[in-house]
Amino acid sequence: MNEQLRGIEDIQGLYLFDVRLAVKRVRLNRLLWQLTREDEREKFRQDEAAACRNAGLDELETRLVLERNWIELIRIGANFFALEKLIRVSGKSNLEVYAAQRGETLEEYLRTRRVPDAV
Amino acid sequence: MAEIIGGIGTSHVPTIGVAYDRKKQETPPWKPLFDGYKPIAKWLADRKPDVLIFFYNDHMNGFFSDLFPTFAIGVGQEYEGADEGSGRRALPPIKGHPDLAAHLTESLVNDEFDIATFQERAIDHGLLSPLPLLWPSQPDWPAAIIPIQVNVVQFPLPTPMRCFKLGRAIRKAVHDYPGNLRVAVVGTGGLSHQLHGERTGYNNTEWDAEFIDLLERRPEKLASMRHADYIRLGGAESVEVIMWLAMRGALADTVNRLHQNYYLATTTGMAVALFEEPAPGHPDILGHAAASSAVHAGASQ
Repeated sequence: MNEQLRGIEDIQGLYLFDVRLAVKRVRLNRLLWQLTREDEREKFRQDEAAACRNAGLDELETRLVLERNWIELIRIGANFFALEKLIRVSGKSNLEVYAAQRGETLEEYLRTRRVPDAV
Repeated sequence: MAEIIGGIGTSHVPTIGVAYDRKKQETPPWKPLFDGYKPIAKWLADRKPDVLIFFYNDHMNGFFSDLFPTFAIGVGQEYEGADEGSGRRALPPIKGHPDLAAHLTESLVNDEFDIATFQERAIDHGLLSPLPLLWPSQPDWPAAIIPIQVNVVQFPLPTPMRCFKLGRAIRKAVHDYPGNLRVAVVGTGGLSHQLHGERTGYNNTEWDAEFIDLLERRPEKLASMRHADYIRLGGAESVEVIMWLAMRGALADTVNRLHQNYYLATTTGMAVALFEEPAPGHPDILGHAAASSAVHAGASQ
């Protein structure tokens, strides 16, 4: 247990990315990180399943990427900032993914915000 | 010696960069944010620092989990902006300051602050989001930067106290530099926000206001808090405000808060604040060690 994080167990809706998850999900996160390169984005767009296979993703990781199942990707250990590359490649805004993680539509999420047109 | 003229804390929300590139500065949803930077841009234009030392973090762009340094200082000639998944922004590359960066690295490592060095790594929105609001980018940036990358994306993170001490070590190193340079320090990130999990969208405006007050007056209280405290009070990703603490550590014990702006639009409490160093000759300019020994001397009399 990380002493700096003692006491957060009761906070719901929190999946902190640590070095243990970084090891367990290194292939998934590397695939996401490599989408910072246009050549990798192009390969991914051409054949998403093949890109996942070539990156060594397991069946679950591959399915969640293909489904764009944002909340499950976070729960199993995708780093949110690595995941942002897939959000970009998918043509989504971060706000849409914030909403999806809460089980809301974008419109529902924006209704809870102070300045919904600051997009 | 080189001189520290002040410090700036600023959010680094990527959407600020998008709004800037789409020229939304004068639109109603964005004007309160952009206007809040104008007094600080003017201060920088008037005071003309030669170097901005940035405590910023990479978001899995220039670095990845194959090697994610806890602290890493940019020692290179020049930095490009990162491609974060949809191409690079149309901003000129930013000059580094290799001589000061080498001096800072030597001073830190000899003080047993074993920082990693990097060059030729792309710089992402952790630094680039606020930079064009502080400095003009055209025809070129007016001076140099030294980026100091802090890991706030893969636990374990450096403790708040360690970040504060990093700032202090940077202050000492800047003052020991043999050349004449004017330096401002910048800490980026925050304030309250959470971007992942069902708790996404969490904010705490009261805590955000208290944080800036404590940063000015009682930074040692913030330094003694734990990551868990920051996560509970401000949301998971708000823990990155420990980079403001590094900036504060690089300043004198007493500073003048000249300006502050806060704007919560959708998901992140977006703040910017300017802290100016005391005038030369003021006792606090001697720095923390001198200040605390004066306190001890006073207590023993």
